This record gives sequence, structure tokens and C-alpha cells, in this order.
Amino acid sequence: MNALPDFQLLRPATAADAVRLHGLHAASRYLAGGTDLLPNLRRGLLKPAVVIDLAGIDDLRGIAEVDGLLRIGAGVTLTSLAAHAAVRVRLPALAEAALAVAGPTHRGAATLGGNLCLDTRCTYYNQSETWRAGNSYCMKLDGVGCRVAKKSKRCYAAFSGDVAPALIALAAEVEILGPQGPRRQPLIELYRDDGMAWLTLAPGELLLAVRVPLDDAWRSSYEKLRVRGAIDFPLAGLAVALRRENALLTGLRIACTGVASQPLALDGLAGLLGKPLDAAALAVIAEQADLANRAMKTTLVDVLYRRRVTQVLAKRLTQRLWEAAA
Amino acid sequence: MAAATRRRKEGHVKTILRLSVNGKPREDAVADNTLLLDYLRDALGLTGTKQGCDGGECGACTVLVDGQPRLACSTLAHSVAGSAVETIESLSHEGKLSQLQRAFHEHLGSQCGFCTPGMIMTAEALLRSKPAPDRGEIRAALAGNLCRCTGYVKIVDSVAAASRCGEPRA
Amino acid sequence: MNAPEQKALLRGAKARAPHGVGARLPFVDGVEKVTGAARYTADLPAAGALVAKILRSPYAHAELLEVDVSAARQLPGVRAVVTGDDCDMPYGVIPIAQNEFPLARGRVRYVGDPIAAVAAVDEQTATAALALIRLRVRELPAYFTAAAARQPEAVLLHDNKPGNIERAVHNEFGDTAAGFAAADLVREENYDCAEVHHAMMEPNAALAVWDYERGHLTLWSVTQVPYYVHLTLARCLKMEAAHIRVIKPFIGGGFGHRTECLNFEVICALLARAARGTVRLQQTREETFLAHRGRPESQVRMKLGLSRDGRLTACEAEVVQRGGAYGGYGLVTILYAGALLNGLYDIPAVKYDGYRVYANTPACGAMRGHGTVNIRFAFESLLDTMAAELGLDPIEVRRRNLLQAPTDTINGLKITSYGLPECLDWIEAASGWKERKGKLGRDGNIGRGLGMACSHFVSGSAKPVHWSGEPHAVITLKLDFDAAVTILTGASDIGQGSSTIITQVVAEVLGIDYSRIRVIANDSAITPKDNGSYSSRVTYMVGNAAAQAAENLKRLLVAAAAQRLEVSEAEVDWLGEAAAVVGEAGRQIGFAEVVEQALVATGTLHVKGSFTCPPEFQGGKQRGGAVGSSMGFSYAAQAVEVSVDLDLGKIIVEKVWAALDCGFAINPMSVEGQVQGAVWMGMGQAMSEETVYENGRHKAANLLDYRVPTMAESPEIEVHIVESIDPNGPFGAKEASEGPLAGFMSALAAAVEEATGQRFRILPITPARVFAALADQPDAVAPAPTLARGAA
Repeated sequence: MNALPDFQLLRPATAADAVRLHGLHAASRYLAGGTDLLPNLRRGLLKPAVVIDLAGIDDLRGIAEVDGLLRIGAGVTLTSLAAHAAVRVRLPALAEAALAVAGPTHRGAATLGGNLCLDTRCTYYNQSETWRAGNSYCMKLDGVGCRVAKKSKRCYAAFSGDVAPALIALAAEVEILGPQGPRRQPLIELYRDDGMAWLTLAPGELLLAVRVPLDDAWRSSYEKLRVRGAIDFPLAGLAVALRRENALLTGLRIACTGVASQPLALDGLAGLLGKPLDAAALAVIAEQADLANRAMKTTLVDVLYRRRVTQVLAKRLTQRLWEAAA
Repeated sequence: MAAATRRRKEGHVKTILRLSVNGKPREDAVADNTLLLDYLRDALGLTGTKQGCDGGECGACTVLVDGQPRLACSTLAHSVAGSAVETIESLSHEGKLSQLQRAFHEHLGSQCGFCTPGMIMTAEALLRSKPAPDRGEIRAALAGNLCRCTGYVKIVDSVAAASRCGEPRA
Repeated sequence: MNAPEQKALLRGAKARAPHGVGARLPFVDGVEKVTGAARYTADLPAAGALVAKILRSPYAHAELLEVDVSAARQLPGVRAVVTGDDCDMPYGVIPIAQNEFPLARGRVRYVGDPIAAVAAVDEQTATAALALIRLRVRELPAYFTAAAARQPEAVLLHDNKPGNIERAVHNEFGDTAAGFAAADLVREENYDCAEVHHAMMEPNAALAVWDYERGHLTLWSVTQVPYYVHLTLARCLKMEAAHIRVIKPFIGGGFGHRTECLNFEVICALLARAARGTVRLQQTREETFLAHRGRPESQVRMKLGLSRDGRLTACEAEVVQRGGAYGGYGLVTILYAGALLNGLYDIPAVKYDGYRVYANTPACGAMRGHGTVNIRFAFESLLDTMAAELGLDPIEVRRRNLLQAPTDTINGLKITSYGLPECLDWIEAASGWKERKGKLGRDGNIGRGLGMACSHFVSGSAKPVHWSGEPHAVITLKLDFDAAVTILTGASDIGQGSSTIITQVVAEVLGIDYSRIRVIANDSAITPKDNGSYSSRVTYMVGNAAAQAAENLKRLLVAAAAQRLEVSEAEVDWLGEAAAVVGEAGRQIGFAEVVEQALVATGTLHVKGSFTCPPEFQGGKQRGGAVGSSMGFSYAAQAVEVSVDLDLGKIIVEKVWAALDCGFAINPMSVEGQVQGAVWMGMGQAMSEETVYENGRHKAANLLDYRVPTMAESPEIEVHIVESIDPNGPFGAKEASEGPLAGFMSALAAAVEEATGQRFRILPITPARVFAALADQPDAVAPAPTLARGAA
């Protein structure tokens, strides 16, 4: 079978050490749960000289409530995340998204940070070396041009993490540690719509933790479209967080995944606030879900279907939360 | 040509890996890029753990690491340093099948048997944390393990039967 | 790493309690499977084995001008490089259609066609060596659909096959024109089925040892057909068959993928000979997908005539199969599709036109339900549609077209046992059909539906692929001083449990304890030849041979007991574990003593049993009459209940009720397992599985994109066994593993129709298709009528 390429493995005990080691080895990669990175390595998609294993770093693994926020270490596994009481009860979208990832055994190893930094995916990229060579590669790795959009100057590989849209809808921030020290930013700013450079992290920067506001006035949920009940990446995934006060919608955030090179937050929802959620409002939501959508032929499943279903998910998830909040 | 010249003349760099496998402490010189799967199969001869796919999609390589199911094909051997690894070979005791193994055998949860070690190890972890799961919980816990023979019904039967036996678990 | 590992170890009181046939006996090789002790091909220890890698064509169709392996040969660590020059003997499972070389010679015909192979000291060296091989080619036009390959100007994949038609079949039994004229309702529809693949859990692997001093070869492989592999190795390596030994260890499933010798098996042997050593060849999952041999992409045009009261008057079908680049089992597939239109219902006239077409995709072959599945989807679907038009219940319309056994069909198939009526009765009752069909209603955005269909399959082909004049099956029993009975069989247990079935048959006839019996299987140096595990032949044919062998042995034992007890044979009361004098229970001797007597003056006993399908079962004399002939047909009916998320187009299969007439269940637990597996595999094809090629390049050659259903969305499948007691099967048994598959697709389509109002005539019925259909896009539901009648 395809063996892993040669590399040196480093196992730092602290995040600061990890960042320092990354600085010493330019061609290095962070390894978290390994459920995505190792298959990619076996397919020859990456050839790092050094792999920095984050599994031994204890301070990446805690979940704690601080000042009305839940601070979740980037090394927390998706299984632990979904099982955490505060996450289950107060941040259901996050629990649902974590449980929607791959299969149960993947989730026991895969981490929050790994899912947030998941490599973008494309049917022309996630293939063996011989497959890609036979297809003259593509711009994301070793080749020229995009196989999905022939004349495109950019790569359309799709971001396919489930957890990011939930956390974006929940207005999460991320803590990042870099060679210059720690910094914080909204999670949405971690991403850009470029299949080759989908993360805004500077070289060597490491995701430390996610901070999620705990505001019980908000309700949230995540729904994922996939063909099978497990294992599959999202064809489209959508998270909604909503606040209702009596008959009025007073807060609404919607984010989706699988339909662009980054997770997307829907724009144009501000006008719906301060009013009831009626059919016209749902139509606006559907329209915005479609406007944001940049699904391309990066999967084997029909693009139009993925676009239309994103609209359906946006409408019905919002409607469900609205009714549940009554 | 490039691939050939990139190869290191002296082979891989090896470092000492300390862990326990099936209850026995081990110290082995293992290359940094060795998968847990290859360590178990090639270095230790524990071929019960299978490889069925190219990228962690089938679950046939599932082993337990500190009691939790883990895909040995998507885990570096050195990543589980210091841990307790359990494979299918560890479940029977002095030649006697464990309840779960017996249930898979007697309820035909295993046809060709290739998915069986991974299936049993995943189920073992489930029953340790939840001794009496219902059929829905069994299906959810084993959803990452593919089987092509059984249509899964008798696998669920087998796990359910083992859970009814109530044998004390580790 | 040898066959003796497979001996049955049955311990514990539980395993001893049941006796012989009809018992829910756990598999005799099951303990090894649940302990991890079972060694599959990749698990066999072979210290120092060289690692083999195959260079595959990146071109879908090209002339090979030069394959330069000089640099690869010179790479340190490389021990052998082989190319098409190393084997000039074409092979193929059908003797009249041998057009494949283990390594391409002059032409590559699909992306993945092997061109060269390397054996090296390790995987990295082998991979590096492949990168040093230089190809010079002239690309040729490539065809990825049957229609494209059939265009008049298309370049021929094989020079002797005009129009790229591998095989055209035209036959008519009865008078279809008269049948349609007599019908009250005639309808014709087109159906499309995507190509599907076996996806057995164990990837392909082989291990070859070349004994240079003797010039002998030993090969271990994942095959269902060690005998065909043996013949192919002898042919391709130009060796005496006597110098070859083929061993089949534990096998991780097959489903037809491994019913013919595959290129990697010959390549592994060629490398071992060239390297003068031991070579291990393990394929990736992607390569295993490229070996393919699955069910072909098929277009079916189906036309049926029905009388007002639901009687079938005529059937006319046209099938086009994209067979891929090489012959394989292709001509059997296209012949079976037509022949097995018969044998399920009473149809007075059937006309069939089949076209097997070469194309630049991996070769198709046999897959569970071989040939019958896609055409059954079309037939059952159209029957439902027409029944609805006539206001008839789907179960009722089938009841009006039942056969009456014993009978011969219009194409000469002999129907000797027929439990379909009981199957229908059971699914009707179990699914609550009468009360629930059409009344499940809608629950918000969830639609619900119930559907049913029937299917059947052969219990082995009565006419063997290789006509050698030998019996169809041979079993040897060895009895020795230890009073153990050793079954020697060439029948391949690939996980379906054939070794267990044979053990039960022998235990039943001899009446002895299972623990006395062990099975040694599939080592050509030890076990008798067997044609292999395909077309559901093993239980029927090998089971009969085993019963005969056991009877022959029992005769010797009774004679020995008579001698020792000093009575006549007629006075011996054979108790299995003992022999007594009739009427004198006190005068008895144990089995070991009987054996001791039986061995006097002769020593170790080898007793044989064999089975041959009588000529009258090998098909009628008329043209096409021999195709599909079998001594027994299994019959299945199933009901499928679904719910459909109408917003997303997602189908959930809530429950399946499946009834199977397998004649007699030698092991009811195993029959249930086979039925569940078959129904579920049908579900995969119906809902989510399909191969996807882009310019001939397989885009779904992994278990993420090729969507084998997971446990999460797989239903509970309730099984009912109908025992029609076939007059010729062992203890009345017929096949149990393939028949239940083909009904699933149309049963699902019927259930989805009730839930959504849309009748799908395309497979798979994916969420995207359901969604599109609900958005009124007709091409999501049915194919465009592109089949040209009588084309080619």
C-alpha cells in the first residue's frame, strides 16, 4: 500500500515549543488527530520534511467556562467536544456539527483545530499520485490550472469542515499563537475563499483555542447534507443561530460549508431583525444562501443540487429554530 | 529519477517507541513515519488488524488506544507512545473467546471475516462505556466500520447478544 | 501459511448440540475470524519477500510504441522488471474469448491497464523504479459509453470485433408478435443502470514463490477460482500445470470480482520467476477498483404485454452493456440477461436482443446476481407500472403469472421446485401489505411508501465453462487411524460459508460429531479440483458430491461394523458415533473401533464423491437453449418500506422483508446472512453506488466516493425461509446468496413512487435525482429513449 514519505517526527510538550520548532523547520507540518493529514500524506499530497505532533500538548485539550464564554482547546477531540455538557445544552449547533463529522472512530481522534484547519477538498486533488499524474495534476498541487473551472486563475477546492459553520454562527473567536506571540480574531477571519490558501494563518501560526459566547437567548442548530449516514464529507452543511423575543426575530446568523473554499457567513440578514420570521423573510434567507453559494464540481454530486439544498437547509433550519423558540 | 534520488541511502531514521501492546510493555526502534498499522502487522506480526482502504474510510484497522477505538492506518506509531494498545489478538483469554467474539461467531456477525477485527474492537469500546446499548446506539457507534457481506443485521445482533451476556469488562 | 490452518476447530457444548443439516451451526472457520488468527493473503508470513508494483496506463486508449525499462532495471534494489514482452499468451475465463494479456502488448485499452511491473527490495524502491520507466505511445480515440464505441467510424478495441460489439445475442422463444397482439395493454419503457463494483472488503493481493532449482511455482491468492488461476498460470507462463501449486488462504469476500484469473495474479508469478524468489503483490484500494469485473452500465428497453386480468402475454427486451476493455465473463453476462428473463414467471413468448460492447473502461465481469439484476429491475418496474394502469395490486399481478413446478420454460429451463407463491404470501403478511400499501400517507415533509418485487437465480450453471468431461464437482474424504474424517475440497470458501455447508452435509450422512470432521480446502497439491465459487454452484453441486462421498464412506463403515459385530450389513444399526446390532442396543461398538476394522488390510481410506448435472438439465437443443440452464432456481420476494425527506430528496429505507425459497436451508443462520447481504448489496446499487469515469479515469476508486452503505442508514432486514425441497439438491437445497439481490431495485422504486409520486427508471436513485424529480425535471426520473431497435 502507499507508504508514508520520509519525515522526522517531533513531539513538543507545549504550544510555545511547537511554534518554536515550526520556526526551526520551514518545511514542517502540524499533526493533530491525523485523520485527514495522514491519508493525504499517503496519497502524496504533502511532503513535509518534519511533522510536529501536537498530541502531547496538554494545554490544547481543556474546555473551560470563562466570563460567559466557553474556551475550547484546539486539541479537544470531536467526541469530547460533543459530549461536553455545556456544548450539548447551550451550543447545540456545535455538538451537532461535531457529531456529523466522518465516523465515530474518526471523531475520537480528530480534533477541533484539525477540523477547523481541514485541507480543502476536490475530486481532482484527493487522489493518488498516479491518478493526479495521469490527469496532469492541477494548480493546487504540482500542476497548472484548475480542472473544475478550466479558465479559472484560482483553485476552487471546497472547504469541507462541519464544525466551522456552527462556530461562525455562534460568533466564535479563535486564539492563535505565532512566532510573534498570541493573538485573537473572529473565526470567520481565519478563512479566505481560495482553495490553495484557505487559511489566513501566517507561517508557523498555531490554533490554540476557540472562544464561544454562551448566550442562552440564542438557539442554534446544524444540518448536514450527505449521501450516507456516516463517513461522508458534507455536500453542503448549514448552521443557524437565532434569537427570538416574543414575536420578533432579534438575532440571526447563518453559515454554511462545503459550497466554497471557505465556510461562509450569509450577508443581508440584518433587515430581517425586529420583525416576525415570515415567508418573505424565509425567501430573503434562501436568496442570500444562494448568493453566497459558490459550489463547484469539486465533488461527484450535482452542483445544482448542492446549491438548491443549501437554500432548503437555510430556510427549514431557521424556521425550526424560530418555532422552537416560541 | 527525482523520487529515486530523494530516497535516503540509509533508510529511515528510527527512534525508540515505548508503549504497551496487548498488555505487554514494548520498546522498539521504529521509524518516525511508521503507521501504527504497519508497526502492529509488520514489526509485531499482529496481522489480525486489517487494511481495507487507502485512507481511513473502512474501519478494518480499528484498534483500541487507551480503551478508545482508533484507526491504525491513520495514526503514527509514535503518536501513541506511552499508551496501551489493544488489538483483536488480545480479546480471548487463555484460549477462551470473549463474549463479544463468541457472539460474533455464534450469531454470524462475521462472514468473510475481513472487517471483523475492526468491527469487534469498535464494539468492544462501545460495550465498555455502555454495557447495554440499543440497536440504534450500536448502529451509530459502528457506523464508521464497513462490511460488505452481512448487510450489518447480524453484526448488530451479535453486539446486542454480547451486551445481554453481562460479562464483566475491563 | 498452508491449508492445514483452515481445519475446523469446534469446541464447546454449544457447537456440539445441533446435528447435521438444518442446524444453525456457526462457521467451522469462524473462531479464526473472530480472534484475528485467520490469515488472509496479505497476512501470510514471507520473510524477505520482494515487493511488487505495477505501472498502469495513464491513457484510456493508446498504441504502445515503446516501453523502456532500462533505467528501472538498473536501480539498486530492483530484482525484476517485466513487461508485455514477458508473456505473449492471451488469457480469459471463457475459452473462446481470450483477449487479455497480464501486461499490455502493443495497446493499452483503459486507464489502469498494466504495462510493466517491478519487484524490488522494498516499496519505495519499487515505486521509484516505476517512475523510471519511459513510455512512448500514440494515443487513439477512446470511447467511454457503449453508444460512442458503437459509432460506425469508431476505432476497434479488438480487431476481430466489428462495431466494437463483443457479442450480439438475438433470440425469440414463443411468438411475441402474437402475444402483443393478444394483449390488452402493451407498454414499453427504457431503464438505465449505472456500473457497480463488488467492493469486497479485502483488497487484492497475491504471494508467489519461485523455486528456481525445480522450476516450480507456488501462488497464494485471493481468488474464488483457484482452478482457473492454475490453468491461466500454466498458459501464460508456459509451464506444466504439474509444476504449479495454487493455494487459497482465507478470503475477504469476492461477490464475483475474483471468479476469473486477474492480471495481478499472473504478474506476481511472472515477477517471482524473473526475480527467482518470493514476491508479494498488494494492491491499493484504488487498484482493486481498477481490476473492476463488476456489473456493467446497462441500458434496457423493456416491452411487456398484459391481458386485462394481469396475465403476461409477451416480453421483448433489448439490453446494451458497456463491457469495458476486455472479454472476461462478458458474453455470459449478456446471455444470462436474456435467458433469465425466463424461469421466474410463466411468460408465453420472450424476444431478446443483447449487445455487449467494448469500451475504454475497466473490464466488467461477474457480480452477484450475474446478468439478471439490471434486466430484472426493468421487468419488475414495468410490471408494476402496468399493473397500476390496470388497477391491479402488485402482489396480485405476480400471483397471476406463477409457474407450476415441475415444468420447462419456453427456452428449456427446467423448473423442478418453486416456492415463489409462499414467498409472496409471507412478504404480504409480514409487511402488512394489504392494510398498509397505498395508505402510509404523508407526514409533513416526509413521504412514505411500500414496494415489492421478485427475483431468482441459478444454483450453478448446468453447463460448465470449461468442458473437460469431468464431473462438475468432486469431494474426497480421508479416514485414518485417528478416526477423524478429513474433507478435502477445492471449493473456495470466500466468506459465504461453503466449508461449513460441506461439513454439515458430511456430518448428516455419517451421523458423526462435527468435532471429528475437519476441512482442508483449496490447495492444488492436496485437494481435488473444483471449478470454484461462482454462479452459486457450491451448495448444490459440491453439496451433492459431499453427500455422495459420505454415503460411499458410510457403506465401507457399515461393512466394517458388520464384520466386527459378526452380523450381516443389514443387521447393522448405524448410529453415527457408534454401530449396534439391530434390536440389540447392548451389542455396539464405537466409531473408533469401526474405523480400526475398516482400515484392516487397506490402511488409510480415501473415498470420493462426485456430482454431474445430467444432460437433460444442460439446456434444450434449440439455439440459446443451454444458456442459464441450472438444476435448481432459488426464488425470492421482498417488500421494502421507505420514508423520503421531500425537501432534500433523501430516501431512508425503514425496513425490508425478504423471503427466499432456497429449497432447504442446510444452515438457516447462514441462509439468513446470505439473504440480508444480498438484499443490502442491492440497496447499495439502488441508492448510492456507482463507478464514475471522466475520460476513462475512475473518479470514485475509493470507499469515500464509492458509497457502500454504512450501518447508520442500513435497514433491519427480516428474513423468511421457504423450503420447497428441490428433488435434486442436496437434502433439497438450492442456492441462497444471489437470488434475493435483484428484486431490491424495483421494490425500492415502487416504494419511492408511493412516497413521491415519481417512478424512477434510472439507478442509482440518489438524493440529487429525487430532488430534481420533485422539482419536475423529467430526465432525473427516466433515461431518454436512445436505444435504436435492431441497431448494430
